[in-house]
Amino acid sequence: MASVWLAVLALALAGPVPSALARARWPQRVPRAAIVLWQAIAVAAVLAAVGSALAAPEELLRALGPEDREGTPVIVAVAVAATLAGLIVLRLSGVLVLLAVRTRRRRARHRDMVDLLDHAERSAVLGGSGAKAVLRVLDGAVPFAYCVPGRAPRVVITEAALDTLDADELRAVLAHEQAHLDARHDLVREGFVALHQAFPVLVRSRQARDVVGLLLEMLADDAARHRCSDAAMAGALEAFVAGGDPEVVSRLERVRARRCGGRALATGTYLAAAAVVVVPTVAIVIPWLSVALPAAGVLR
Amino acid sequence: MCDVALGELERAVMAQLWAARGPLTVREVHEGLERELAYTTVMTVLGRLAKKGVVRQERDGKAYRYAAASTREQLTAELMLDALGDVGEDRTAALVAFVDRVGPEEAAALRAALMDGRGAVPAPREGDGATTPES
Repeated sequence: MASVWLAVLALALAGPVPSALARARWPQRVPRAAIVLWQAIAVAAVLAAVGSALAAPEELLRALGPEDREGTPVIVAVAVAATLAGLIVLRLSGVLVLLAVRTRRRRARHRDMVDLLDHAERSAVLGGSGAKAVLRVLDGAVPFAYCVPGRAPRVVITEAALDTLDADELRAVLAHEQAHLDARHDLVREGFVALHQAFPVLVRSRQARDVVGLLLEMLADDAARHRCSDAAMAGALEAFVAGGDPEVVSRLERVRARRCGGRALATGTYLAAAAVVVVPTVAIVIPWLSVALPAAGVLR
Repeated sequence: MCDVALGELERAVMAQLWAARGPLTVREVHEGLERELAYTTVMTVLGRLAKKGVVRQERDGKAYRYAAASTREQLTAELMLDALGDVGEDRTAALVAFVDRVGPEEAAALRAALMDGRGAVPAPREGDGATTPES
């Protein structure tokens, strides 16, 4: 029965649970805990799918009497199940590796160009404004601020953004980007990008990626608010909100509302994340292993 | 040579090439840089920039001449498109993970501006600066 339960769990964690979590507003009050919960859901979903595929042939064999075990349908069933499990693992690992290589190559090239096009005089003057990473200033009529993560991180900002922001707001923006770099948010995001690339259909992976992206922005907003002030971060977001991007709008509303998640909510969310991984392991996997391993002669 | 100095040098060489009215020889670039540098250093830097695709190398008799493959504005616009492109519908790579930007209209305007007078948006290429259109 373990394989059935695990399959049900995998389906739940791939569809309805992410949908519900994506629609909810409470995660925005505790972004860090919510991101951990999302990660737990992703890990548990993959493990449940793989576990179900691995447990199925074993349970099938054990359910059949010894006479039935040699039949061709049984062998086919075992082969199909093992292949499915293998495909899931290989697909995800393959995508992770390819994405990592491609990402870092593009990043290195982008970083080179950013260094080349930097207005050295401008960035040197601003260097003390709070960014620990190397700062680059680009020409451009479009207000823009971003970071290039990795082993030689950069914070990039355009002239237009410098014109639009005052000193406090600039410090807030730089603190926001620095928060992304310090906490290596790019790695968190990369995991979800890989998940979506590996399993783009049938699974709510795009939603997961997008929601986690927004939560990471909010987490960096909180870091900037902590270092500078709520007002500075709000002012900075106002400068960028003119384009009407709904994500920036919700971030601005959130900063203005000064909503803070309680300790209780964060703790509860962390516990839920742990439960998502631990409970199925204790309730389903371990009981199954305690029957399967002796049956296979591995344990006594 | 440490990274900072090299970056500064590359910027200085590009500034020369962008300001020049035509392709320059290594000697002309070397003379234009107001600092104590070995001729071979300048040659090395030009070689690196050519390999990155930002500088075009052409033969002029026995010497090589170098020119910027694109204007500074063109390169900056491509760079911003690269950063923006990651945040579009198809986030295929976490290149620059986080972009605070004005909005999708600006992205569209930027793309339109790049594509308008220049045909297809040139893709960055390694060591093949000759195919990047000049503006």
